Amino acid sequence: MPSSLILQAVLAGITSGFVYALIGVGIAVIFRGSHIVNAMQGEFAVVGALVAVFASAGAGLPLPLAATLGVAAGAGLGVLIDLLFVRPMKRRKASEESFLLLTIGLAFTLSAGALYFAGRDSHLLPPIVEGVYAIGGATIPNHALWLIALAVAVVAALRLFYRRTLLGLSMAAASADPDGATTIGIDVNRARLLTFLLGGGVGAVAGILVSPLIAMNYHMGIVYTLKGFAAAILGGIANPLGAVVGGIVLGLLESLAAVGFPSGYRDGVAMALLIVIMIVMPNGLIGRAGRVGG
Amino acid sequence: MSLPYSTDRRPSRPARFASMTLAVLAAVAALPVVAQPASGAPIRIGALLSITGGLASVGLPEREGMLVAQKVLNARGGINGRPLEIVQEDDASSPDSAISKINNLVHTQKVKAIIGTSGIAQTVAVGGITQKAQVPLMAFTGLGPPVEKERTCVFHLTPAQALNARGLLAYARDNKLSKVGVLHDSGYGQVIWNAMKGLDKEFGVEIVAVEKFDIAATDVTTQAAKVKAAAPDTVIVMSTASLPFRAVRQVKLDVPMISVHGSSTYETVKAMGDAADNIVFPEFLIAENPLPTQKEFVDAYQKEYGKLPKHFSAAAWDAVMSLAEVLKKVGPDAPGDKLCAEMRRPYQGAMAKYDFSAADMGGLTLDGFNYAKLTQGKYSRLAYRPAR
Repeated sequence: MPSSLILQAVLAGITSGFVYALIGVGIAVIFRGSHIVNAMQGEFAVVGALVAVFASAGAGLPLPLAATLGVAAGAGLGVLIDLLFVRPMKRRKASEESFLLLTIGLAFTLSAGALYFAGRDSHLLPPIVEGVYAIGGATIPNHALWLIALAVAVVAALRLFYRRTLLGLSMAAASADPDGATTIGIDVNRARLLTFLLGGGVGAVAGILVSPLIAMNYHMGIVYTLKGFAAAILGGIANPLGAVVGGIVLGLLESLAAVGFPSGYRDGVAMALLIVIMIVMPNGLIGRAGRVGG
Repeated sequence: MSLPYSTDRRPSRPARFASMTLAVLAAVAALPVVAQPASGAPIRIGALLSITGGLASVGLPEREGMLVAQKVLNARGGINGRPLEIVQEDDASSPDSAISKINNLVHTQKVKAIIGTSGIAQTVAVGGITQKAQVPLMAFTGLGPPVEKERTCVFHLTPAQALNARGLLAYARDNKLSKVGVLHDSGYGQVIWNAMKGLDKEFGVEIVAVEKFDIAATDVTTQAAKVKAAAPDTVIVMSTASLPFRAVRQVKLDVPMISVHGSSTYETVKAMGDAADNIVFPEFLIAENPLPTQKEFVDAYQKEYGKLPKHFSAAAWDAVMSLAEVLKKVGPDAPGDKLCAEMRRPYQGAMAKYDFSAADMGGLTLDGFNYAKLTQGKYSRLAYRPAR
């Protein structure tokens, strides 16, 4: 087996891994701040990417401004979701299953909305840098290198935010123990609103970074959500860094399985290995058993 | 004194009247004939298409073709003067939803015929209901005789996957591209690959690599690299996504690609980016250079929507027009079994020449393919026709 094939698989796995990680990070952010499993995280990516596409190709705006609008759209959508749906359900003491159903329903609704407003076309954003980088007989798009770098920057920024800023700490506290947080003066509703704003924005960043590599259309949201969810669970669902680790592991498992086995078995092999990992490490690769409650 | 004959040289009154009448008639006859639009009680057919969900990319162009056919038909006088009305339903790309919608169309709305469905699973699911009710179903997909051989009221307007496979391999054979790599997805591509397996010897080609990827894959460069390692003369790509085309070019596999017409939509081409080059498609409709039998449809579609059509829309146009032809012949009150029987005949459509009396209820052949080459994102017609 040529070494270039293995190297191609590694590069492909890392690229895919960071795609999954970016979605998984958004799922982790929202879970960390609200204990809600967000089944519509992929739709934030779709909305962000489509807004950026229409702002740049349609309205002729410069790409950085179009991307900013896309991120704002994702963040704004997150805020709306919290205000219109999550907050009223929290007031009514809805169960965790109800929130999961909510986000599943919203995923289908937003997908239908994307089809209605954006049509059935798939859309590509221009890459940050054109062309591919060749290494040892394998290739990786230059844009993928930027995607990896920016994903690392996003995760590092989130880590600093949650650990070193008062706002980040209070958001985590409000999720872990809302009653306790309230008694010490943390506005739990505001904390959750900011969680959804952040989760929506991160989701939109994911879509905008991915769409130069993979054309975005109305149907991609659920695809990304499933992969991102696997990454987040694998890494320990409330940990954005865990989502990155989980995403990379998942991407590499899939890619290397395609090299070592007939490609038809790729997904079966990767999922089987994932199951083994989850049995051995049920809290995820770098997760830990957390407090129950909140 | 009165004379025995009139000295008035003017024509007589009856003669003047006759002359004037003739003049008016001549003037009217010289006017261009304008068809009267259809009027009166509408003739109702149903349409069950995937307007939402995963198959909307197919269902929406089918609806476009269907609606422009309805418009043109009704402007020309409809069916014996009566307008054609289409009761539309969306199956949301789900066979379960398709069953409830077909029951509504057949048993509640009592439509004369159904246009659809857009998906294999939906066609197989609803075909039993329409067959039992003897309501013609003009399907855009299906599984063909192995499953549907008793369904003589289910007509197919798109080719069987075996024919798609032959169209692809014929090009490779006739252009001396004897070492073939195959890259296919787990959905559409898998169905065609299943039909292609075992045809390599018949077509005198060697399948040197077969790689599969999930329809939800976000990267297929590993599989493309495996195909490249087998050093093929050509790569057959079977997928509705742009991803594998981009992957083949990313790994610097620069051989010609051959792909199936389901991948040839303008939306997929746009999403291919720079990879939309040196790809050959066995097609039915090359709207940039239509055949004479296709021109009316292409012009009508372009006038209505401001863009060029693909074969999904052409097939839907043919579904409406072929049904209308039969309804004109037997009358809208003819029983279902008579409609189905009359449908089973050769029909020259915009997409292709069909033979609805053939065993597969579609009758498309290798001769029906037109080959297009995609060069830097633009289609052109190839002179190539497959040798038998």
